[in-house]
Amino acid sequence: MAQDNRLPPPHGLLIDRDKPVSFTFEGRRYEGFAGDTIASALAANGRWVLSRSFKYHRPRGVLTMAGQDGNSLVQLPGEPNVLADREPIAPDMAVTGQNYRGSLDRDRASVLGWFGKFMPVGFYYKAFYKPGNAFKFWERIIRAMTGLGRVDLTARPGYCDKAYGFCDVAVVGGGPAGMSAALQAAEAGAEVILVDENPALGGSLAYARFDGDRGRADALRADLAAQVAAHPGITVYADAVAQALFADNWLPVARGNRMYRIRARAVVAATGSMEQHAVFRNNDLPGVMMGSAAQRLIRLYGVKPGSRAVVVAANDDGYGVALDLAEAGVDIAAIVELRGKPGTGPMASAAVASGFRVLPGHGVKEARASRGHRHVTGIAVAPLDGDGKPTGPEERIACDLVCMSTGHAPNAPLIYHGGGALAYDGETAMFAIKSLPDHLFAAGSVNGRFNLDAVLADGRHAGRAAARDAGLDAGADSEALADREAANQSHAFPMFPHPGGKDFVDFDEDLQYADIVHATLEGYDDIQLLKRYSTVGMGPSQGRHSAVAAVRIAAKATGRPVNAVGTTTTRPPVGPLKFSHLAGRAFEPVRRTPMHHRHLEAGAQMMVAGPWMRPAWYGAPAERDTAIRREVRSVRENVGLIDVSTLSGLEIRGPDAAAFMDRMYTFAYRKQPVGRARYVLMTDETGVVIDDGVACRFHDRHYYVTATTGGVDGVYRTMLWHNAQWRLDVDVTNATAAWCGVNLAGPKSRAVLQRVCRDIDLSPGGFPYMGVRMGRVADIPCRVLRVGFVGELGYEIHAPADHGEALWDALLEAGRDFGNVPFGVEAQRLLRLEKGHIIVGQDTDGVATPHEAGLDWAVAGTKPYYVGKRATLIQKQAGITRRLVGFTTIDPNAPVPEECHLVVRGAEILGRVTSACRSETLGKVVGLAYVAPGQAEPGSRFDIKIQGGRIIEGEVVPLPFYDPGNRRQEM
Amino acid sequence: MADASTIRPADRPRRSYLYRVLEAGGANFMEINGAAVASDFGGTAGDELATARGMAIADLSPLSRIGCKGSGALDWARAHGVTIGGSNNTAHLQPGGELAARLADTEVVVLDGLKGTGALPHRIETEWSLDGADGCYLVNRQGANFWFMATGAHAPEMFAKICAVDLRQAKFPAGAIAQTPVARTNCIVIRADLGGVPAWHLLGDSASAEYQWGCLADAMGEFGGRPVGIDALRRLGARPE
Repeated sequence: MAQDNRLPPPHGLLIDRDKPVSFTFEGRRYEGFAGDTIASALAANGRWVLSRSFKYHRPRGVLTMAGQDGNSLVQLPGEPNVLADREPIAPDMAVTGQNYRGSLDRDRASVLGWFGKFMPVGFYYKAFYKPGNAFKFWERIIRAMTGLGRVDLTARPGYCDKAYGFCDVAVVGGGPAGMSAALQAAEAGAEVILVDENPALGGSLAYARFDGDRGRADALRADLAAQVAAHPGITVYADAVAQALFADNWLPVARGNRMYRIRARAVVAATGSMEQHAVFRNNDLPGVMMGSAAQRLIRLYGVKPGSRAVVVAANDDGYGVALDLAEAGVDIAAIVELRGKPGTGPMASAAVASGFRVLPGHGVKEARASRGHRHVTGIAVAPLDGDGKPTGPEERIACDLVCMSTGHAPNAPLIYHGGGALAYDGETAMFAIKSLPDHLFAAGSVNGRFNLDAVLADGRHAGRAAARDAGLDAGADSEALADREAANQSHAFPMFPHPGGKDFVDFDEDLQYADIVHATLEGYDDIQLLKRYSTVGMGPSQGRHSAVAAVRIAAKATGRPVNAVGTTTTRPPVGPLKFSHLAGRAFEPVRRTPMHHRHLEAGAQMMVAGPWMRPAWYGAPAERDTAIRREVRSVRENVGLIDVSTLSGLEIRGPDAAAFMDRMYTFAYRKQPVGRARYVLMTDETGVVIDDGVACRFHDRHYYVTATTGGVDGVYRTMLWHNAQWRLDVDVTNATAAWCGVNLAGPKSRAVLQRVCRDIDLSPGGFPYMGVRMGRVADIPCRVLRVGFVGELGYEIHAPADHGEALWDALLEAGRDFGNVPFGVEAQRLLRLEKGHIIVGQDTDGVATPHEAGLDWAVAGTKPYYVGKRATLIQKQAGITRRLVGFTTIDPNAPVPEECHLVVRGAEILGRVTSACRSETLGKVVGLAYVAPGQAEPGSRFDIKIQGGRIIEGEVVPLPFYDPGNRRQEM
Repeated sequence: MADASTIRPADRPRRSYLYRVLEAGGANFMEINGAAVASDFGGTAGDELATARGMAIADLSPLSRIGCKGSGALDWARAHGVTIGGSNNTAHLQPGGELAARLADTEVVVLDGLKGTGALPHRIETEWSLDGADGCYLVNRQGANFWFMATGAHAPEMFAKICAVDLRQAKFPAGAIAQTPVARTNCIVIRADLGGVPAWHLLGDSASAEYQWGCLADAMGEFGGRPVGIDALRRLGARPE
């Protein structure tokens, strides 16, 4: 399709006419150029309707051309709610509209506009809920009608990542103020990052007109941009949006598929201002747009925005818009000047000199539309009376373009995020910065400067101040130029309510003038209440255009000053931000033991254990139970080996090592012989069990202590925390990753170990149960612990981690003739349960004490102190309320209770099951459960409420279930 | 020494934590101190050198390293011939090419040089005893930590994707140390240039070696980064630029 609205160069700063791009919109093919946005390319082809409004389904088109409104939201194949005035076109991009029934041009749902009077603000709070079940009926309809765009549930996540950025000064905004600030700070020696949302630097210099002749803006933009590009101290992040300003000058900046996390010493917000619309009937028609939007179309994209224009002006910018339009070949039908007389600045003078028709003291009665409201066709204006109402004789002016240049609002979200404050200034009829937090500076129109010289001076001033704040010698301070033009930028009340409505205050939510008035008169007269009741400012554009208008209306309706209505809270993000940016490249550390790949090669099903991966069992998922039984049998009858590298190791070394151990753990360690291991049980200050393991004494000043897989980091932290106070002469090192471990268990384990270990006497007398030795296994220097978690003769062999795989290989090979097989965590859990050993965290919980858990034997009552002793004693004296016991089911064929099935007496809950299994070895169900103290004696029976509410009977039995005499593990 | 083409990491009792990943990447290995170290990845020496100048990572995990920790650690190490700087988080080159990284008033790590003699770490290990080293305790850094090296002009940009510390050359001078999370695992980062090419040692949890290698490989992809062998690092170190 021909680009009939395309203007010749030099219009079109951002487009590359040598690179045509073809794409589709609503199934129809269009041509544009590289650098075009979807909206600009469509506009070049005369396509103005981009979307349908949220509530009334009215046609909507270009409003700001700056991504500041919700009128340009379109659908891409994998992404809804894309801003058409920001998204570049790409070859064969398939764009569609959204929120319509039928077609974008003929939306059946637009009939809702006829019922607008029956859907006043807040009507949904008052309807739909009566009679009682009415909402269920309405909910389906409401849900079908609401929501914008379609989420592609089959879409695969794209690759987004994050990166840190570092600088002394971050400048946000690449306009005249921002570039001046960046250059000034860089000249002072600061390392500067300049963030700008546009693909090319320049800000308003790139499209706006500051003088009668726009040559100065062009030359200045080129000069400043060249200086910035040439300065080695400035890094430019173009096409990037600073989405927030957090504590300590932390700026998340979204750029492409990356979220930068920029930490600066000081920040300059040169974020500019946003043009504000006038409120009049049909001000939402395609073809009615901000004056700056028309300028952006012309200057940035080389698009003629219309043929015959009316400019609604309340400042001299409007005259600049008229001049630009005329230069682009647009007829200027009139400049409707809301002020009593034309402006007097250079642009106004040039416009008047050009012979444009100016209607001073006029207001807008309404804009007129073509059939279906698809474009503006004219505007009705009239002289304003003393109350600012267009009550004089009406004049109808034919036009296809209405440009609004009636005021500005500071683009200040970063200032709000940083803790700054703004307040309404009646003199300028704008919100103005009242305070800034430390390390944050503002420059340019966000700071109330509009005259170009004042803007540049303000930028330099902020850049110097920021550099100084960053600790650099920035030289003598300069005074920022005050700007007398600021008082002439914004009209105090550019609003002309119409009895027929459709005079939109908030385009996102289709809120009209009367909606705001009615909400205010209903009592929602504070902006925070007004916002929530009316939803003003809660749509995609987040009040960029509606907030100021709403507070003005509320103030007028209640006869209060604007500041009395309050301001809304501005929260991050500044602009649309995808979840993929927030999720980014997620880092999820995974710890693998040195034998990890051997487990995979052996067919292990891996399970997550804290940060580690551990083999659950070896075999196919469908063979789980068979595999576990096989592994258990092997350990009970022959020998098996399990990777216990995750069990953690702590080196406790120094003259006070024994004293330290005595303080940290409940048992006694001073008299623990060298070469022996002893159980360790750790409680916190409240006497709650938090970890257990084994302490191996290799020297009178050296304990090697194991901890649970998930607990070691907490144990290590606790040890350091306590010794920072105790100041014992002891060193604590977390050696978990330094050592790997293999538990070789089973009646034939000694025979297997003898094949690969020559320098340790492995005889029962030479290396008894709970002994520890250092020696070489398969010629690898190892620590060997004779412990028996699974209740069989066994050896835990700890080796330097980089030898782990070789150790595993050697032990497997050595045991091949003995039926040695690897066994996984599931078999180990079953084996230990048969032996009645608890697992901290499974058989204990966040309040379990040693006495409750049946660990009284591991508490040394005579030593003066250990962490948690006082609490443990108090609990012992007060008496426990539950007790962990071993149990079996009376009915041997009863279902196996699951963890957390309740122990009950009638309706009373007495405890819960913590572990249970059907033991092939013992031929019955065995388990551990908390029961009432009175039920803890062997032979006591209790009820367990299992799945489905069924009650089965359990009986307390002595522990351990398996090998009560411990002959097997001590053989 | 065995022919490089016949050296397989799995034939040695001491193995890198990611030797399978290196093998899958086409690494050739050489023997250093009884372990297999990736010498190159099949490219020409010139190619690997160019990669190392731009962006590369290398696995040095089989090389020797040891730590001393405790209130008397620095004094003991100095008394046994280790030159240690006067401030924490600085690393000092030793006469034999090793590096002594002072992590705290109470801790130092000694990394072997790229020659891989292991002499200094080995000497420390043999001269130390619990009875004879008052307030100094050895730390098994060999088992506890993987040891990678990142080299090249793009490395700071790569690190910026996974580490919050500013590791750019102007901000993180040679000999500087950062003890900081890298891709959410605790690491020690040491700047130690090779012949004028910026380079950083990276030591972290050995159990997370494959995870960390994957993160680095992913982060350096956009800079054309690739793994290189120790040969390329040695060449860089051998020729001042």
